[in-house]
Amino acid sequence: MKICCCIKQVPGTTEVKINPETNTLVREGVETQINPFDLYALEEAVRVKERMTAAGDPSTVTVISMGPPQAEDALREAISLGADDAILLSDRAFAGSDTWCTSYVLAMAVKKLQPELVICGMQAIDGDTGQVGPGIAIHANYAQASYVAEIQEIDAKKLAAKRLIEEGYEFCEVKLPAVLTVVKEINEPRTPSLRGKMAAKKAEIIKWGAAEIEAPAEKVGLLGSPTQVVKIMTPPCREGGEKYEGETSIIVEKLFDVLSCMEVV
Amino acid sequence: MPENLIQNITNNHTDYLSDESRRFGTARSISFPKSEAEVIQVIKDIRSQGETITTQGARTGIVAGAVPFGGHILNLSQMNAIGEITPDEASGEHRITVEPGATLDEIRAKIAPTSLFFPPDPTETTATIGGMTACNASGAKTYFYGSTRNWITSLRAVLADGDTLTLKRGENFAQGRHFSLTTEQGQTIAGPLPSYEQPKVKTAAGYYVADNMDIIDLFIGMEGTLGVITEIELRLIPRPKSIQALTVFLPNEDSAIKLVRALRGEGSVAIEFFNSDALDLLRHIKTESSAFENIPALKDSFNTAIYTEFHGESDDDLEAAVMRVMEAATALGGSDEDTWYATTDREMEPLKAFRHAIPEAVNLIIAERKKTCPEITKLGTDMAVLDDQLETSLAMYDHGLQQSGLQSVIFGHIGNNHLHVNILPRSMEEYEQGKALYLSWAQLIVALGGSASAEHGIGKIKAPFLQLMYGDKGIAQMRALRKLFDPKTTLNPGNLF
Repeated sequence: MKICCCIKQVPGTTEVKINPETNTLVREGVETQINPFDLYALEEAVRVKERMTAAGDPSTVTVISMGPPQAEDALREAISLGADDAILLSDRAFAGSDTWCTSYVLAMAVKKLQPELVICGMQAIDGDTGQVGPGIAIHANYAQASYVAEIQEIDAKKLAAKRLIEEGYEFCEVKLPAVLTVVKEINEPRTPSLRGKMAAKKAEIIKWGAAEIEAPAEKVGLLGSPTQVVKIMTPPCREGGEKYEGETSIIVEKLFDVLSCMEVV
Repeated sequence: MPENLIQNITNNHTDYLSDESRRFGTARSISFPKSEAEVIQVIKDIRSQGETITTQGARTGIVAGAVPFGGHILNLSQMNAIGEITPDEASGEHRITVEPGATLDEIRAKIAPTSLFFPPDPTETTATIGGMTACNASGAKTYFYGSTRNWITSLRAVLADGDTLTLKRGENFAQGRHFSLTTEQGQTIAGPLPSYEQPKVKTAAGYYVADNMDIIDLFIGMEGTLGVITEIELRLIPRPKSIQALTVFLPNEDSAIKLVRALRGEGSVAIEFFNSDALDLLRHIKTESSAFENIPALKDSFNTAIYTEFHGESDDDLEAAVMRVMEAATALGGSDEDTWYATTDREMEPLKAFRHAIPEAVNLIIAERKKTCPEITKLGTDMAVLDDQLETSLAMYDHGLQQSGLQSVIFGHIGNNHLHVNILPRSMEEYEQGKALYLSWAQLIVALGGSASAEHGIGKIKAPFLQLMYGDKGIAQMRALRKLFDPKTTLNPGNLF
């Protein structure tokens, strides 16, 4: 089975800054990491590979990321965690892509690779949209199951998934090829091994631009993005609450009075 | 002196009656001085009342050194200024002057924006530098960099009568085993140093003494018994350009020890050990407590683990060493697939979390057991042996634990032949059984030339072990030395002896 995993390189800190002129994240000099939700996607992809290979179907995991040249670091890290090879989708023409356009670009790579299964994290911690995974499925014309908490069964043609929904779990059967987005509870990502890190060091990262995935200029980047960020602002800091100090019995009484006045108790 | 500097102990001060040893003491009053002048004032005031003083930092020690035996608590946590980093032309290094209440975390944060490095690394990074100096703290990297002692160039101390001393490394030496010091107020303190020889292993038991020693070293590891440290100057060195770490999982303890022997020639800065019981405890606690969910998953096949860390000038240099280690590990039943490998700070985090989780898990389980049996505590050994006694000591621990059926974990600084056995008693009967076992091990280890306390110090809990190591004569000599500085035993009574 051919499995693809889509990952995003995101800032490694919550202390991000926004460029007020371009309304984009300032990425220079900021430590990066693989989007934490994508680590679960990658782990699941590697587990499916191991499961299918053990069942007599030699399988591979190709990890894909759309981003600037430095996203290569994230792809190498993905190889250290069990992926077999990696493709970086990087082109100046992709700059300014929104979630629609990003999923289109990733879907064009998926169409070229023709995997039976694509696994993504449920959302990225910087954008928090959760739109790219389902978008890939639509653009690539794949079946999809989002918020997957367990792949219960899988064979060459279909899989049975347990989806996390607001009311509990939903069990569904999905025909392959399909795109899954996964939630945190699906697995526990492994720690990089020496074997994985050495493989990552030696790996050749394939680079594809718009031409390689046959994506026309009007469908990528700012031109291909139906949404634009008009303004980003930092919300004002929350003011600190009131702090009571002193003898426990006195401050408890004081707190009770305040809560009573607010009709909370 | 501020009016409210010395406060009576109230219910709000309960935390200050204990430390990480989980022993509780009593006290009549407490102060939180913010300067050396306030320390002097408190000492003079309390001493004039005939009371004793217990010095405290962050109370992270585990031998009850900061647990008060009545009297006054001098808590230095608010005396925590950190000075500027300055170059030292003579050595080519850098220096930083800190007050005793500064924590290791705070000092590291101050250094972080620079390319400098302060190597001492006790597991508990909320420890204060005053506490680390008073007990000569160690950590995993002590294997290569030495203990806190090696990183102190100068200190100031207030003595029990309020006199002050500045001790700069290289300026005050003993003549053989006789020392003489003059305080800034002009008082001369002189006399013999104890005549015992310290074991030739990592040790934090009793006063550091040696022929012609630098007297600053007498104050490092004195556990608060000679004075109150009010300022410390630290050495900083360039941060290694490349840091890499490995956790190798092996099929059994024998293989782990053989790997330790192989590692000794490879320039490791730390070599740590985790036995199969420690790994099992982590597997168990990970499923029981959400606080431990971030510990990396451990395969069922993992039996024993060795952690090692390399520091160097380039990734390529270190990679060559890593590969040689892996070759040795593979021959002993390890594999590159079952070896965690970290080359960035972020990748180091799970490896460190794994190491730190073991004592945390032990403490959690003991806290739970104390609910039904309040008298029990963890029984944690801290003994180091000579290099050729490593196998003997581990076999002794394994045999005793197997015979007794006590629950335990073994982990720690195997590079220094220094393992921590933590016994987790389930009842008072097991607690007593564990204590007896611990004492029997200490007797044997001292007889083999080892130390009964390699890094935690003696405090109030391990005083019998100091007796075991140095006998009545050694204790009497230490007592006489202490009297020269503190004739009425005002400072930290109960610590050491």
